[in-house]
Amino acid sequence: MGSNKTSRGGGATASPCARLRDAYHDCFNRWYSEKFSKGQWDKEECVAEWDKYRACLAQHLEDKHLRRILLETEASPYFVKNDASSPADRDGTTHQ
Amino acid sequence: MVRAYTQDHVYHHPWDRVTTAAWRKFTDPDTPALLSHIVDVHTLHRRLDPASGCLHAVRSITVRSPPLPFILRRILGQDAVVCHCVESTVVDARGRSMEIVVRNASLRGLLEVEERSTYRPHPDLPEGWTAFRQQTNIRCKPLSALAAVAEKVEQRCAERFQQNSVKGREVVERICKYLEAEASAAISC
Repeated sequence: MGSNKTSRGGGATASPCARLRDAYHDCFNRWYSEKFSKGQWDKEECVAEWDKYRACLAQHLEDKHLRRILLETEASPYFVKNDASSPADRDGTTHQ
Repeated sequence: MVRAYTQDHVYHHPWDRVTTAAWRKFTDPDTPALLSHIVDVHTLHRRLDPASGCLHAVRSITVRSPPLPFILRRILGQDAVVCHCVESTVVDARGRSMEIVVRNASLRGLLEVEERSTYRPHPDLPEGWTAFRQQTNIRCKPLSALAAVAEKVEQRCAERFQQNSVKGREVVERICKYLEAEASAAISC
């Protein structure tokens, strides 16, 4: 659990972004544990890390479905297409 | 046919620590040993509403399936498949609730999995314990001539999901203990 983290996973589609991802996740985890979860929710942090990481994903992420989620500015909580008969389609939430 | 099951668990740790650990579950460097099916994790979207104290994030979790039944291996020409899951999380810091919904984005022609989890302060000890509830629905799409195989796949997936849920909880517990020790060390310095 120390500082010598290895890069996660063998995702060949977006491994160029692994370092930027780790930098963003580290920043996020720190902000979440020290501030957000303890009541300081008024300020967004890790913006620089997020912007760099997101730009990298926009360039390298290949999966069409995941790209759509990445590039959408208005995100709905549920992104996965469901049939009418799907068990997930219970609560009338807008689906893609 | 839909297989549904619910698991409840109590963490003897406060809500902020458990939810911190939950965020780190898939990306912790020690996780691969326990959750070897996780191939890759990426954050695709995040938004903070500073007025309400709500955080919304969407992540992709890429997993490797368990070894497929023989007939599917023949059809697909592979022993296992890689599957993208989409995890959508809403954390209400003011109300102290974390809600997670995970669905598979790929392989939906074969399988539909939806897993909903919540983390809330435990009513018996809200400042010290956290209640975790996870509801999972697994549905195998009917494969006309292969209904019996579909059911077997569904059953095997359900078993594997349950095993992975238990392992996931162990990872969160371990991270909680680490965070607790870290907090104590900081006080005593």
